[in-house]
Amino acid sequence: MKKNKAMIITFLAPAVILFCLIFLYPIIRTLTMSFFNITGVTDPMSKWQFIGIGNYTKLFSTSLFRTSMVNLAKIWLYGGIIVMSISLLLAVVLTSGIRGKKFFRAVIYLPNIVSAVALATMWLQYVYSPKFGLIKTFFEKIGWESMSKVQWLDNEHKFGALLVAYCFGMIGYHMLIWTSGIERISPELFEAATIDGANKPAQFRYMTLPLLKGVFKTNITMWSVSSVAFFLWSQLFSSVTADTKTITPMVYMYTKVFGAGNSVTEHDAGVGAAVGVILSICVVIIFTLCNKFIKDDELEF
Amino acid sequence: MAKEKKEYKKINWKTEAKLTPGYIILIVWVLFTVVLLGWVFAASFSTTKEIYQGNALKFATGFHFENYAKAWSGGNVSTFFTNSLVYSAVSCVLLILICAPAAYILSRFTFLGNKAIQTGFVSAMGVPVIMVVLPLFSMISAMGVLNNIFANKILLIFLYVGINIPYTTIFLLTFFSNISKTYEEAAAIDGCPPTKTFWKIMFPMAQSGLATVTIFNFINIWNEYFLSLIFANSDKLKPVAVGLYGMINSMKYTGDWAGMFAAVIIVFLPTFILYIFLSEKIIGGVTGGIKG
Repeated sequence: MKKNKAMIITFLAPAVILFCLIFLYPIIRTLTMSFFNITGVTDPMSKWQFIGIGNYTKLFSTSLFRTSMVNLAKIWLYGGIIVMSISLLLAVVLTSGIRGKKFFRAVIYLPNIVSAVALATMWLQYVYSPKFGLIKTFFEKIGWESMSKVQWLDNEHKFGALLVAYCFGMIGYHMLIWTSGIERISPELFEAATIDGANKPAQFRYMTLPLLKGVFKTNITMWSVSSVAFFLWSQLFSSVTADTKTITPMVYMYTKVFGAGNSVTEHDAGVGAAVGVILSICVVIIFTLCNKFIKDDELEF
Repeated sequence: MAKEKKEYKKINWKTEAKLTPGYIILIVWVLFTVVLLGWVFAASFSTTKEIYQGNALKFATGFHFENYAKAWSGGNVSTFFTNSLVYSAVSCVLLILICAPAAYILSRFTFLGNKAIQTGFVSAMGVPVIMVVLPLFSMISAMGVLNNIFANKILLIFLYVGINIPYTTIFLLTFFSNISKTYEEAAAIDGCPPTKTFWKIMFPMAQSGLATVTIFNFINIWNEYFLSLIFANSDKLKPVAVGLYGMINSMKYTGDWAGMFAAVIIVFLPTFILYIFLSEKIIGGVTGGIKG
């Protein structure tokens, strides 16, 4: 047993020490920082001034931050509806006994393994291009003049364009989660239902959907975790530093802490830390609500 | 195998007809993806002028491989590419060496704190990076590492490893708990010490799990953006994702669209090629990691 103890410690130590260094300690420190007035992120602790919830009240009275939270909420809600419904549809089609399932599944998941910078560039510089873009060419070919002239990246359309491009990249991942959930439902259940005279739509409504509750929860959690970290797409789709159409809290925090540091984006690490705490609280709230309202324990399969 | 082939030949037209709407949805989706990637690929062999005229697919002036040559040497892509390759490869090896033993211990031994460590790791997977990045930055800049290229590279690898520890450990933990305990029991009876048992018996047995998680880590680290943006300041340090972002911004001004698409393809190819050969394993791994 003594031997085991030494082994447990030597085997676990590197992972646990790294975990404490990269996660545990920084999380506690960020939490602390959010209650202090700190200008530069590298300022020593002696220069911190305790201001209670001052950073939080400052944030919520800043209209740019409020805009970024609204944008994030829109991405989470609209994007969530788009991604969840399309990925579920694709998952249902893929598990309906279609030929070439593996091929289709692999192609739909493909955008997830591609560098997001590369993917976003393809959308920005090709699909939405006002000169040689895919959408423009498509509408020209079918003779819909007014649609082919739309500037997809102007201020009016930018957010929608960003959302569609982002969702396209995310659908494959959620499709896989749905598919694995559907495949875990015993086919005998469907056979029994067919014998009892239930048609396909009824089977989907009364069997597949209720049995997928737990998978839905996983999907929402994963979607929320990735939405909160929404940064790169926003940065690529905005032409100026603080673009109100596409700004998200993460971008706001980045400009506040690491930004150019002029009068518009005055450095404020305390506020940056508070943004992090707010986003983490959002994830926790969504997670708690999901666990409260979606109960999957009664339907083990 | 023979049975599968038999099933394949049998086409029931009635059921196929019922599935038509499904086929249409999938084919439209695939078509769009193919057009998107195919066009960018074609444009990377074209010239900026042809792209603007809408003739990117005609190759009137032949294939322009020089776009790649230009992007590779002129646009620093070779540096970014090597950096990414080194970061990803070294981090993947370190992650396995650190996480496999930890996952094994967590899956096999009951001791005080086991559950707490597991809960900590699982929660860490949901923590936004923004929660950890500020203190890391102040710690690291206090160490003065950011002024030395070599030290900074080590630091980046250290960060990539650290940030992926929870995911890798939890993934392998599920994998180890599915391996039967009888092997260790047999080894113990034969007098093999537990540490040796792990490296000689369990580690090789977990090969397929180790391979899957390494593929994921490789793709994640290859595509990592936010940490690299903050901690890799010089062009000599940047991995492809951050490097490409800078190139795209500068090419907007130089107007070299063909070169930009070539750079996009260079960044895109490594994970794409990996995916062509390993898509089944990758897809199996996505859902395997979540279930546990």
